[in-house]
Amino acid sequence: MRVYSHRMDAQRLEISRLFHRFGFGPRPGEYAQALADGVSTTRTRLLTVPASDAGAATVVEPEITDLGPRPKPNTKEIVPFAIAQRYQTQQMVVWWLDRMAASDHGLTEKMTWFWHGHWATSVQKLNYAMPMFVQNKTLRTYCLGNFASMTKAMLNDGALQFWLDGQDNTVKAPNENLGRELMELFTLGVGRYTEDDVKNISRSLTGYQVVRSSGAVTINQNRRDKNPVNLLGTTAVFTGDSLADFLVARDDSAQFIAERLWYRFISSTEDMPANFSAKSAFKSREISAAVGAMASDSAMRDEKYAMVKSPVEWFISACRALELTPSALKTPAQMINYLEKLGQVPFSPPNVGGWPAGEAWLSSASAQYRIAFATWLIKQSDLRVLNSMTPAQRLTRSADWLGVAEWSARTKTALRDAQKDPAQFALLALCSPEYIVSA
Amino acid sequence: MDTVTRRKFLKLTSGAVAVGAAAPLLSIDQIAQAAIDRPLPANTPILVVITLYGGNDGLNTVVPYTDPIYYSSRPEISYSADKVLPLDAELALNPAMKGLKALWDQKKVAIVRGVGYPNPDHSHFSSMAKWQTASPAKHINTGWLGRWVDSQSSDPMLAISLGSVLPPMLAGAKRSGSALPLGGLVIPKGTLATQCAQLSKPSNKDSKLMAAAATSMRNLFSVSTNVQPVLKAPAPVSPDLPTTNGGNAGGDSNLAQQLDVVAKLIAAGSPTKVWSVSLGGFDTHANEANAQAELLGVVSDSLSRFMGQLKATTRSNDVTIMVYSEFGRRVVGNGSQGTDHGTSGPMFLIGNSVKGGFYGEQPSLKNLYKNDLAVTTDFRDVYATVIEKVLKSPVEPTLGKWSGRINFL
Repeated sequence: MRVYSHRMDAQRLEISRLFHRFGFGPRPGEYAQALADGVSTTRTRLLTVPASDAGAATVVEPEITDLGPRPKPNTKEIVPFAIAQRYQTQQMVVWWLDRMAASDHGLTEKMTWFWHGHWATSVQKLNYAMPMFVQNKTLRTYCLGNFASMTKAMLNDGALQFWLDGQDNTVKAPNENLGRELMELFTLGVGRYTEDDVKNISRSLTGYQVVRSSGAVTINQNRRDKNPVNLLGTTAVFTGDSLADFLVARDDSAQFIAERLWYRFISSTEDMPANFSAKSAFKSREISAAVGAMASDSAMRDEKYAMVKSPVEWFISACRALELTPSALKTPAQMINYLEKLGQVPFSPPNVGGWPAGEAWLSSASAQYRIAFATWLIKQSDLRVLNSMTPAQRLTRSADWLGVAEWSARTKTALRDAQKDPAQFALLALCSPEYIVSA
Repeated sequence: MDTVTRRKFLKLTSGAVAVGAAAPLLSIDQIAQAAIDRPLPANTPILVVITLYGGNDGLNTVVPYTDPIYYSSRPEISYSADKVLPLDAELALNPAMKGLKALWDQKKVAIVRGVGYPNPDHSHFSSMAKWQTASPAKHINTGWLGRWVDSQSSDPMLAISLGSVLPPMLAGAKRSGSALPLGGLVIPKGTLATQCAQLSKPSNKDSKLMAAAATSMRNLFSVSTNVQPVLKAPAPVSPDLPTTNGGNAGGDSNLAQQLDVVAKLIAAGSPTKVWSVSLGGFDTHANEANAQAELLGVVSDSLSRFMGQLKATTRSNDVTIMVYSEFGRRVVGNGSQGTDHGTSGPMFLIGNSVKGGFYGEQPSLKNLYKNDLAVTTDFRDVYATVIEKVLKSPVEPTLGKWSGRINFL
């Protein structure tokens, strides 16, 4: 294990983690205020979802409509259709990024983001915005709710069903894609079932039909396999709902969800300790209980559990610090292009396993794109916070501005060199190892 | 799952298969520089590994075109006998693989049939981890070629993977292969360069991940000017190679790009004995025929183009190409014009030194094991042969005591 030359200020570290991991980073002034309030008050505030969120309420919902069946190629209808399809998808991506950047209370957006990566569904296969938009609302509704209810809702989610070929899974010709991933990636974890279980669960999941353009789901009884199956040692005729209850009730499910929370919130590089408190707190299958326990766990105070910010997390935290609104950037398409280069665009996870974590985001190529992206953002910000400081204050107060626990001597030297130039200073700060990684 | 790409797989396994030593990220300049300073000695064998991510449907790649069970098992997605490219009286290549068929006719292609491992795993991520670690029974953190890298003297140019993330296959315990991101990096210049260099210095306060962040920025700076001629040179072109790009309009040509870079660096004399490239998208649960044919066309065309390029170099007899995927697919179609995850599949070995022909037993379509093809050849037989015959190294440090060999070299 690494020996640290000195210990980081424990309170600064824990509060920095609360902001960056349980939200999308502090806005100017919030971190300094939280340091004055202390860990416990800050944690309670960040974890308590208010009845309304004035910041998020400023973001106007895009008009996402059912575009209907795709017109035939080479018809005159196809052009407006394709334009509408692309436009709606972009509006939806920008809308969510705006919410992340504008929310007064980041936890709901952060948890919706977590579950989007968990039930990872991509608009690239759906090719329609509406089912993805509906799924986002479902994830939002259940993001801190009951996991069994969430699983039931997701089995009735058209985007997920279509993404994993659920509409092709029939009694005559089972398709195992959804059945396998439901156990492997969504509820139990790999290796916690047999191949026979995969075949049998897939039979229980037959009959779903999806209207691709809207995400509407129906069950066609003629396509359903209504015979009892043996699943994980229990023989029964399962419906979607009873299947969700059955899987989620298993001990493996608590273990698995605790592992996933650990991997995304605490550490993607270190193993989860057996006594990680989120696991026992998840006994009720209430997600908020597991998240609350995780936020208070002693791991939050342990320096070894650093996390690399994913590109979206890094970008949104920069927008909040620079007081930028994603949809107002010139242009939003360019912004999405930068995110694509960095490898992460909302609604387009690379596969059903979601996005990677940790060192996967730290290639030389991403270092280069991050510098270019930050330069582009900084040009569009008035840098209000840095401009209100003297050069010397920039050096001493910038860690508080960004919610960084502590600058290293290395980074301080680089920042000192740029302290008279706010734009250059901001660029170096946002691209520093201390900002790319949540300590 | 829509498409399984290498990128996705790497993401998922990044927690499961830890890269032992941090993977060095190379710039193409560094490799070109090394090629100038210390070229690979002439006649040194070179291995090129091509990973097909997603589970390639072996039965529609090497098609049992005279077996009635093939047609009755998957009526919607079988290839009729008059479309396929016959290799013998029983097996034929997918119609999209004309380039590979030409190489087969020149006796440069070995097809190993029914390759897999005991107790097949149907998860992409687990199965690919088993192939890449060469440890099907037990989860381990090193890849088979990473262990080979460990057994060699330290050289970041020894084994190179194209793309910015290192596949677990090249992760060793002490050292790892290197990753070469495709596409040139734009290097910061002037004051920004100085400040970025300062910002990316190691700090004793860095956690492992912060140190990695600093390293990633530091790696942006390593340019030298005398390598420009190597980099600007076009990929070698074979005098007798017809351009075969017509067949895959709209297909993913990234494999060809990766192999272009490899050909260029092999021609330049890069001191590299192992190259790793990949193509994703083989997870054809639905509407398989077109998607898979397009991908196989890319594989086949890229291979014949690459082999043609090598002809223009002095190293065409030194290169052996190995092609594999994490599993084959189910024999019976799934009713969505696709197939679900299966077990064994064919492997290809291609090169001037390869003894062309069939190896291993073709799995029976009549005697399935739990509705899946039997595994008739363990992939470690192939790996062991490659380690001995191509990499000229003892097998044991990499695979342990493993006696199976296949006589394709």
